[in-house]
Amino acid sequence: MAITGNPSATRQPEADRGPVSSVVIVGGGTAGWMTAAALSHRLAGLPVSITLIESEEIGTVGVGEATVPHIRFFNARLGIDEADFMRKTSATFKLGIEFRNWGRKGDSYIHPFGAFGEEIDGVAFHHHWARFHRAGGRDPIEAFSVPVLAARQDRFAHPAEDPDAVLSTYSYAYQFDAGRYAAYLRAYAEARGVRRIEGRIIDVMQDGHGGAIEGVRLDNGAQIAGELFVDCSGFRGLLIEQALGTGYTDWSHWLPCNRAVAVPCQRAGELSPYTRATALDAGWAWRIPLQHRTGNGHVYCSSHISDDDAAAALLAQLDGPAQAEPRFLRFLTGKRNRQWNRNVVAIGLSAGFLEPLESTSIHLIQLGIGHLLDLWPARDFDPLLAREYNRLMDLEYERVRDFLILHYHATERDDTPFWNYVRTMAVPDSLAQRIAAFRERGIVVNYRDGMFLDASWIAVYMGQGVVPQAGDPRGQAVGDASLFLRLAEMRDEYARLAATLPRQASFIERIGANAH
Amino acid sequence: MPIERVAIIGGGLCGWLAASMLARKVPDVQIIVLSAQGEERGLGIANGGEVLLPQDIETVAATGWRGGDLLKHCSASFVLGTAMSGWRGDGMPAFVPFGEIGAPLGPVPFHQLVAVARARGHAVNIANYALGALCAQSGRFAPPRGDDASVLATLAFGLTVDTGRLRDLLRADARRQGVTEAGMWTGGADREGTTITALHTAAGDGVDTDLIVDASGADSPLAGAFEGWAQWFPFDRAITALRPARSVPPLYTDLAALADGWQAFVPLAGGVAETVVSGSAQGPDVQSFRTGRQRRAWEGNLVRIGAAAAQHDPCAGLQLHLALADAARLVALFPANRDCRAEALEYDRQWRETSDCAFDYTALRLARNGAAGPVWDALRATDLPERTQYRHDLYAGTGRVVLHDGEVFETPGWVAQFEATGILPQRADALANALPTQAITAHLGKVREAMLAGLGRLPPHATLLAEMHA
Ligand SMILES: Cc1cc2nc3c(=O)[nH]c(=O)nc-3n(C[C@H](O)[C@H](O)[C@H](O)COP(=O)(O)OP(=O)(O)OC[C@H]3O[C@@H](n4cnc5c(N)ncnc54)[C@H](O)[C@@H]3O)c2cc1C
Repeated sequence: MAITGNPSATRQPEADRGPVSSVVIVGGGTAGWMTAAALSHRLAGLPVSITLIESEEIGTVGVGEATVPHIRFFNARLGIDEADFMRKTSATFKLGIEFRNWGRKGDSYIHPFGAFGEEIDGVAFHHHWARFHRAGGRDPIEAFSVPVLAARQDRFAHPAEDPDAVLSTYSYAYQFDAGRYAAYLRAYAEARGVRRIEGRIIDVMQDGHGGAIEGVRLDNGAQIAGELFVDCSGFRGLLIEQALGTGYTDWSHWLPCNRAVAVPCQRAGELSPYTRATALDAGWAWRIPLQHRTGNGHVYCSSHISDDDAAAALLAQLDGPAQAEPRFLRFLTGKRNRQWNRNVVAIGLSAGFLEPLESTSIHLIQLGIGHLLDLWPARDFDPLLAREYNRLMDLEYERVRDFLILHYHATERDDTPFWNYVRTMAVPDSLAQRIAAFRERGIVVNYRDGMFLDASWIAVYMGQGVVPQAGDPRGQAVGDASLFLRLAEMRDEYARLAATLPRQASFIERIGANAH
Repeated sequence: MPIERVAIIGGGLCGWLAASMLARKVPDVQIIVLSAQGEERGLGIANGGEVLLPQDIETVAATGWRGGDLLKHCSASFVLGTAMSGWRGDGMPAFVPFGEIGAPLGPVPFHQLVAVARARGHAVNIANYALGALCAQSGRFAPPRGDDASVLATLAFGLTVDTGRLRDLLRADARRQGVTEAGMWTGGADREGTTITALHTAAGDGVDTDLIVDASGADSPLAGAFEGWAQWFPFDRAITALRPARSVPPLYTDLAALADGWQAFVPLAGGVAETVVSGSAQGPDVQSFRTGRQRRAWEGNLVRIGAAAAQHDPCAGLQLHLALADAARLVALFPANRDCRAEALEYDRQWRETSDCAFDYTALRLARNGAAGPVWDALRATDLPERTQYRHDLYAGTGRVVLHDGEVFETPGWVAQFEATGILPQRADALANALPTQAITAHLGKVREAMLAGLGRLPPHATLLAEMHA
């Protein structure tokens, strides 16, 4: 019977079909230690060694402090206790991101981790709000979001457990000290048998024919062999690029920022449960409040502003005195053509870079780890597994990319050449169609597995002036007067509920997550 | 300018489905239904019985149609999946249940455990671990309650319906909601550019319209650029019959591979709908059909739904599901005004996505199975579109299921179909493979026990029917 099986499959020696028995993680930044921690947990009890090599001399990228809610599932799966983790990483809660000066100078909106309002008669809230707005209604859409209202008042509490409660309609993430998070996960991973090797890799040994990596040599002469290599070496892509020459897709024509300067400063004022992203002349600045300090940085485009001017612009808007010299970083937005190539899986900055505007990098690390575990290879590295991994990661990178481009493109700003460029550039068709669908009819084009849900797209569209010109005709079933009344009630209720939440600082104290 | 008038072409089930749904969901539009040649083929092949999938039951409820009415007036019967015979090379029958199959062991999916157990010499029939299959086999069933957290929550059910009766029910419903009829459409239309402004009727007075919904099947005169699927779906003849049956209807549909086609039985309360599809049938009762799809479903102010948009080989039993999905999508994207380009683009994107997924599911059932005969050999030798082939290769090679945005079935539905067509993963997940045999067999035993305990709590289906029809 001619059943079509996998045509390429031939009988393999039994030994090659077993799971890999040694994993070498190259790099000890956030990506390396997240990978080590997750693998040590999932592979516990199996005959597989996990080794992580890092070089203190080279160091880590030293940034990456704001996250998205998915990080909680990562921590929960590892059995990490929230208060303990927050204490040790000096973490704060994050309800969303405030975007200042994006659609127009002087604008401010918050992209919250939560929905706006409630459906009315089966029609999504944003249609009703847009209609209210077109009819001259004054309340901004953020008046219908508990997490935004809470964030504006520096309040936070865990979401309610009762799914019918309005106070359950949001989620949250963390802002933490990246170095301390890596150290935290290092302790976790080492306790579960991960072997850490300090040293600088100076050579990579490759298999003569396939080019697969067989091992690496350190500056002290030691050779480390392995079967599966996870390249967490940062931008340089020591294995995936320098050794395997995988190639990189450049997206900088859509996301032209290519440098950053970062500086921590002393904290001042209330502890905000949100990250701030302020658009500047040729990029934007982040402000990430942690318990012990505030992280700041300026992401910019080098063809529009010099490093000195970029640093000056950042220093000019710190909350408090700087705690270190400004640190400069360079990058190229895009992604590796294949994040899994032969026996190397690139995770973290080695896999690609999308600027931190929506705090997505750590999530992409997490996603890569999850897919790697779902597609865990045997020693013969079935190429189908890599193909599926790359398909899944490419899809996610492209979707995040489109969401980031939206922030730059949906703007009226014409005050600098940088903004003129991004405002008028041609965007990917996938995005152009999405924007048109929302502008013309309030349609939120979304996907099954997209990382950002409808509410996120709506927040950015509305926050940056892409307001639907027409809505879902089904929404017309509600009369104007009764709609306005419903919205007024909703608004008052949301405001009342938000005000019942404690200030974040006292909530952190209450749950024993205080770092001091 | 808002849409005020909608003309629906086709007074078959597909047309009235759209009419009733639009009338219930979109306020302030006047809906007119026109009869058309071939309207009884609006869903695809004309068939006495069709299936609503579990997810369709939610659409039914959201539309405001009452499940009780379907049971009372449409000879509806519960179904828990499909019994497939003749599709595997080893001749074994198989059951493709709706709902879950087994339970994962920690992070390891159930079907991976099965693959490992088999590689180690244990014979495992997945039907023994799916409550839907066990219920179907033993004739015990009651619809699970929404809040049930026990093993009964793994059960998902669909409904079969008598298509003629459902059409009548929806027609009556639509008329109650104010939908009117305008007699027979001649096939003629007035146009302004690419916009259709009026449809000609036999009675002579044209019907002015802002939006046209074509529910008149694949042979509609309004058909546009077409992409044929005959190389993958070579069967083009169908014979259908609706026969009375007095016994308690089985809890499953039945699908058998024949030498030159297939045969399906859809159980109804008091009857059974039978379909034979092949490439060779002759005679007066034979419906011939052509599979494929329109390049675009929504063009200008014309929205094609059901078979007017895409006609698949109906072996996966998706005709009603796909038409319902089309109608629901039209409701969700109903144009805010007459310039409906944004709606059309998004509608087409979603429609194509769903239609691709349905195509893949159907094509893998038809062209990658173990059925015996030269017709099947030829189909198996046919190249599939790359995306479709990739789904097969990834599963056959590694046991992983590819899931796209517009999926009709989730992982269990795909796994069950692969099993039923004899496509088994060559290799299990390496991490599943690291589990000791003892842990896997103990888990399988526990799952089976839980399923059997759940089964024991369900009444005989006959009791349920007697209560419902009392
Ligand atoms: C400006 C900026 C801001 C960011 N903000 C955020 C944010 O808010 N949220 C977010 O999620 N992400 C953010 N990111 C991304 C985030 O910082 C990274 O995804 C994350 O830190 C992971 O980095 P990494 O571990 O891949 O690389 P790195 O931190 O660069 O680590 C590389 C590791 O490899 C080791 N190594 C390299 N070469 C060798 C060698 N030859 N021998 C031995 N060891 C070697 C290094 O010692 C180091 O341990 C930001 C990135 C930038 C550039």
